[in-house]
Amino acid sequence: MWWEDIELGVTTQLGAYTFTEAEMVRFSRAYDPQPFHIDPEAAKASFYGGIIASGWHVASVWMKLMIASSQKRSAEAGERRTGGVSPGFLDLRWIKPTRPGMTLHYDSTTHEKIALKSRPDLGLVRSLNMAVDDNGETVMSFTGQGFWPRRPKE
Amino acid sequence: MIDIWFEDLPEGRTLDLGERLVTREEIVAFATEFDPQPHHLDDEAAAKSILGGLSASGWHTCAMMMRMLVDGLAIRAASMGSPGIEEVRWMRPVRPGDVLRMKGEVKAARVSKSRPEMGIVDIEWTLHNQREQVAWMKATGLYGVRHPAAGGSA
Repeated sequence: MWWEDIELGVTTQLGAYTFTEAEMVRFSRAYDPQPFHIDPEAAKASFYGGIIASGWHVASVWMKLMIASSQKRSAEAGERRTGGVSPGFLDLRWIKPTRPGMTLHYDSTTHEKIALKSRPDLGLVRSLNMAVDDNGETVMSFTGQGFWPRRPKE
Repeated sequence: MIDIWFEDLPEGRTLDLGERLVTREEIVAFATEFDPQPHHLDDEAAAKSILGGLSASGWHTCAMMMRMLVDGLAIRAASMGSPGIEEVRWMRPVRPGDVLRMKGEVKAARVSKSRPEMGIVDIEWTLHNQREQVAWMKATGLYGVRHPAAGGSA
């Protein structure tokens, strides 16, 4: 699959993930040890009223499900996946807190394709990525970016 | 001990969060859980990839930046979390053995209209290793206002 083959406006469901308090606290102890992420008592007294997941944990699970989904699709198509590289992301919004026991449903919609003057062998694809809760309310969104190889010219 | 409030983060304030060593074990452990692509897991496959060697997941780089931000700032500050990140740029690979240094500059600071006890602070962060700049991030943080009654203009 080449950059040229990617269609815009296509949504891929990446799957669901349930956050347990133990796992949320384990991630946050390593990378985001603020009281409202790691200490149930302090979290209760905080702005958030209870333990919430680190926003980086919620975003990292998007990556986890994206890789799993992409590997599955490549296997079904009989392609060998070589892994992708990204220059970064835009407009990451943590809209609602993720609390223990919540299940988030993740997806990704192709949004924009940009040819690169500096790298004629690569193109950029932007996607709108979301995590929504069981009520369909958006918890997190961001614009992802990935480099794709372009179809070699004959 | 909370000694940094919204009032202590005016526009133009610079911040140095110190250093963090990146280990191979940590790169592989994070990638195994959240971003299992060959260039984050395996030296041989990584050497053949576009990144030319084992490198940290970009989401791992973000998580490490968050930990530096907590240890160097948020743990001493009246931190109320974050509504989001305007942009992250993954500029150069982060490798095992890198010593990361993170610095920031406040770009905008204002008191929330709807919640006068809360200030909204935009900070641009740079991340360097011992050779070059490896990442850039523009993030919004929420900080408690020391004197909400004063209206806390910025």
